[in-house]
Amino acid sequence: MKQREDNVLYVGIDLGTSRSSVCSSNGKREWIESYVGWPKDFISQKVLGKSVLFGEEALSNRLSLDLCRPLERGVIKEGIERSEEAVREIIKYLIHSTKPSSEQKIHAVVGVPADTLKTNKLAIRKAVAEFVHSLLVVSEPFAVAYGLDLLNNSMVIDIGAGTIDFCIMHGSIPSEEDQKTILHAGDYIDEQLFSNLSEKYPNSYFNKNMVRKFKEQYSFVGQGKGEIHVEMPVDGKPVMHDITNEVKKACESILPAIIETTTEMIARFDPEFQIKIKNNIVLAGGGSLIRGVREYIQNALKEYGQCKVTQVDDPLFAGSDGALKLAQDIPAKYWETL
Amino acid sequence: MISVFSRNRELKTRKNILRGIYEDNLRILGKGPGITRKRKSFSFRKAGLFVSVLFIALLMSGNYLDFPLHEEKQIAATFSDYGKHNTSEEYRAFLDMLEQNSVYPDKDLKTNSDYKAFLNIPQISLSRLFGLHVKTIMIDPGHGGALSGATGKMGTKEKDVTLDIAKRLRDRLQRHGRFNVIMTRDKDVTVSLRERVELARLQNADLFISIHVNYLPSNPINIIETYFFGPPADEKTLRLAERENEATQYGLSEFKEMIGKIGNTLKYQESRKLASSIQKNLYTNIKKEDKNVRDYGVKRAPFLVLLGVDVPAVLTEVSCLSNEIEERKLNTESHRENIAYYLEAGILDYLNKGEAIYEAKRR
Repeated sequence: MKQREDNVLYVGIDLGTSRSSVCSSNGKREWIESYVGWPKDFISQKVLGKSVLFGEEALSNRLSLDLCRPLERGVIKEGIERSEEAVREIIKYLIHSTKPSSEQKIHAVVGVPADTLKTNKLAIRKAVAEFVHSLLVVSEPFAVAYGLDLLNNSMVIDIGAGTIDFCIMHGSIPSEEDQKTILHAGDYIDEQLFSNLSEKYPNSYFNKNMVRKFKEQYSFVGQGKGEIHVEMPVDGKPVMHDITNEVKKACESILPAIIETTTEMIARFDPEFQIKIKNNIVLAGGGSLIRGVREYIQNALKEYGQCKVTQVDDPLFAGSDGALKLAQDIPAKYWETL
Repeated sequence: MISVFSRNRELKTRKNILRGIYEDNLRILGKGPGITRKRKSFSFRKAGLFVSVLFIALLMSGNYLDFPLHEEKQIAATFSDYGKHNTSEEYRAFLDMLEQNSVYPDKDLKTNSDYKAFLNIPQISLSRLFGLHVKTIMIDPGHGGALSGATGKMGTKEKDVTLDIAKRLRDRLQRHGRFNVIMTRDKDVTVSLRERVELARLQNADLFISIHVNYLPSNPINIIETYFFGPPADEKTLRLAERENEATQYGLSEFKEMIGKIGNTLKYQESRKLASSIQKNLYTNIKKEDKNVRDYGVKRAPFLVLLGVDVPAVLTEVSCLSNEIEERKLNTESHRENIAYYLEAGILDYLNKGEAIYEAKRR
């Protein structure tokens, strides 16, 4: 299937709401938080020494920046044109990090959240087109499924930050009915956790960025392993807080919708193939790293018969690995017209 | 041997998938085969319903006054039923006010033959008269789920565009902090017209804004037009209403109740003003970006979703998917955000004129 050309660099990009990653045929792998920041004024520019900052670096200097998280619904700062510019900057950064040689053509496959794909296809193509010679845009869960060879009788649940994307594969390109998106995902957990902590500790001082970090470090569902204690300031003094129940409650808030959507999608499918799909469910995306989420979903689905839920080994790169595989498998003649 | 077969089958599957992805991307580039609206199956129920809507629309224009006496009596009975079912204090106060107010041409407005006068109340906004306010705004993204609406040549679906614009409009309105903004759908699901109307009632909506995208297969121009409920002026509007009424779920038996809604003068007045404000803002702003866009103005049309809702309601066709340039633009976030911004401006202009402080009479 592979028709690799020597003068072509194949690139797979996973353009995520929270994190974006790239894998290329020369073996480079890179990821960044999907944040872009531009210095607010000439003083910020002088202090930071850069005209644009990405990912964690942008987040840690956010007070001096116009910060943009382009694939979120809307943007952090006003101005939607900024989000298109931010997508361009992220793509530029990712492609640059694969270190293509000057004579190499770049053929890229970009995976984007399924909902973004519906209305932003052209915008995404436009953002990427200036940095590559040829380009394909696909939905993220499909890229994951392709990368894992889950082409038939399987289901991918991609738990991202902005959305959870469901995709049933049945030996052909998934139609609209085979894909579904829900909006209660990682960002929703952040909101819930923030609200739970604000309620329990009204005198403590914390922000959304801290809450996101707590989630990433300690998230779990079901039975946890011991208590979770974090440090937050109260009247300027660092104080340890027990956040075990708040983390559990926030993380579990997304589960009912996942179970409901999974069962609903499988139930709509041809009854002869339902058992096969139920035994081939794969969790992907950053949300699959929540401790106990695989077991929780598997147990909940067992009520509907035997089922097996697994999770991808490397959620950060599963989408870009799949996109790279697609890029390498696409026949050369197709690339010519894209 | 079996493994060879299985390997061949897998290769074939993979090949098909890759071709599918390729063709999908070609469509994004506008190189794929053109796709148009799905042909709609003819249904006697829909046809009957449509004829009935036309009949109601004719009544609204006042033409029923020329009907034979027995028909006029039937209509009068329907309107008196409307009064019986609305015995709230609000409704009584409303009728009393109409009776006592000398600005109206006739004192007795409760009979059918005065209905025309009832609709032609002089230039006084009833909302201002009653000091009513807008609290809840319902945004209705057209189509959804199994009903895609129009589909452009690049594969852009009306249901996706309307949903995206509606969400942006919701976010914009919510930022003002003084409106409760609700949507009839916030994801890609099928919602019947009936459910949309019910939702507006249950949520006590004060304004109802339905967002659609036009499709003119025989004319590749870009037009903007906004509708409120009323008798249509032309054949094209009739056809459009037929298309947009596709997910009705209303039965003919329910028409008696719906006829009662025609008497909602306040709704008529405010819907017209809201439609004018939205159309003006959409057109004047989009004209700055697209010199070829055409203003098809504010029109009356028998859209069921507008008839069913008790409050000021408009249906706006914000763009035109049959125009290839416009389809490309609709695929950019900035264009959709701009449309949401112009809709927001239209709504705010309408509210800020002071004639629109209106909280709907609810049943």
